[in-house]
Amino acid sequence: MHIPDGFIPLWQCAIYWVIAIIFLIFAFRWGRKNLSEKNIPLMAVLAACLFIIMTINVPIPIGSSGHVVGAAMVAIIFMSPWAAVMVITLVLIIQGIFFGDGGITTMGANIINMGICGGFVGYYTFKTLYNPQMSEAGVLKGSGILGKRRLLSIGIASWVAIFLSAVLASIELWLAGTFPLRLGLEYMGGLHAAIGILEAVVTVIVIASLERVRPDLLAWNNRRNSKADNLESETTETISK
Amino acid sequence: MTPKNKNLLVGGLIIALILGVLSPFIASTNPDGLDTSADHLNPGALNNPGYYHAPFADYSVPMLGKSPLAGIAALIIGVLIALGFVYIVMAILKRRNRSDN
Repeated sequence: MHIPDGFIPLWQCAIYWVIAIIFLIFAFRWGRKNLSEKNIPLMAVLAACLFIIMTINVPIPIGSSGHVVGAAMVAIIFMSPWAAVMVITLVLIIQGIFFGDGGITTMGANIINMGICGGFVGYYTFKTLYNPQMSEAGVLKGSGILGKRRLLSIGIASWVAIFLSAVLASIELWLAGTFPLRLGLEYMGGLHAAIGILEAVVTVIVIASLERVRPDLLAWNNRRNSKADNLESETTETISK
Repeated sequence: MTPKNKNLLVGGLIIALILGVLSPFIASTNPDGLDTSADHLNPGALNNPGYYHAPFADYSVPMLGKSPLAGIAALIIGVLIALGFVYIVMAILKRRNRSDN
């Protein structure tokens, strides 16, 4: 899905860059406020793993192939789309500058498609499908029917994220005059609907593994813990009064 | 850095490096979704030489020729750059947060 140089006219690239930079300013502000000591190695490891996963193309029908992007994964792990915008952007910068994967002029469009659209769509689809009140009832233990519902929500969110990113890319390429609209949507949407299955499987496996091995790295557990801590301190205060 | 976080960093790096070594052998050589679409809808777009030539274009170290080793070396370089670059950017962000407070 990395759009190379030459696919989009320069004046349109400039508009995409401006939009991407505005989102990046907000993303780095989020990072400055919310990054904790343990988030730093996690973000670095996610970036290294996503960099490599994006190079592993898996074959799909009609002689094509696709790879995982991971924006929804990062957004759900940190429970923030801004985290995805930051990590995916930094990975795209490295891929573009050092490896020529995705253009320099089109990097703004790639950031919008994979980082911003992928992160926001993935996060808000997950939030819509997965009722946070269930977590208060012990859903986050990761077992039973409610645990399955959470995993299903993660899978669907990842699939929708990559599918809509591809749809957005095909609209940009139509505006650029590179692809016709209907056929562009059919090809890009169809191919990435298949790639989305891979994205969903990988995202579910990664998050389920983290829940098992290092649940403290998942933001939803930290929120629950901080809520429990607040409740405990409030109770202590009330008792002491 | 706590031992737990150090383990995370080392464990993640090892997983990424293993995937990097395997990638040239397991990745499909078929064009990706965008290239396939361009191939069917506007093949001329794929002939654009671009404005910039990356030092490790196509995930390959040029001085190692076309062997799988060239791909593996490029991916290992990429993993180390990604890990180091993101770690440094995040550490700077966190430090700025501390200095703001």
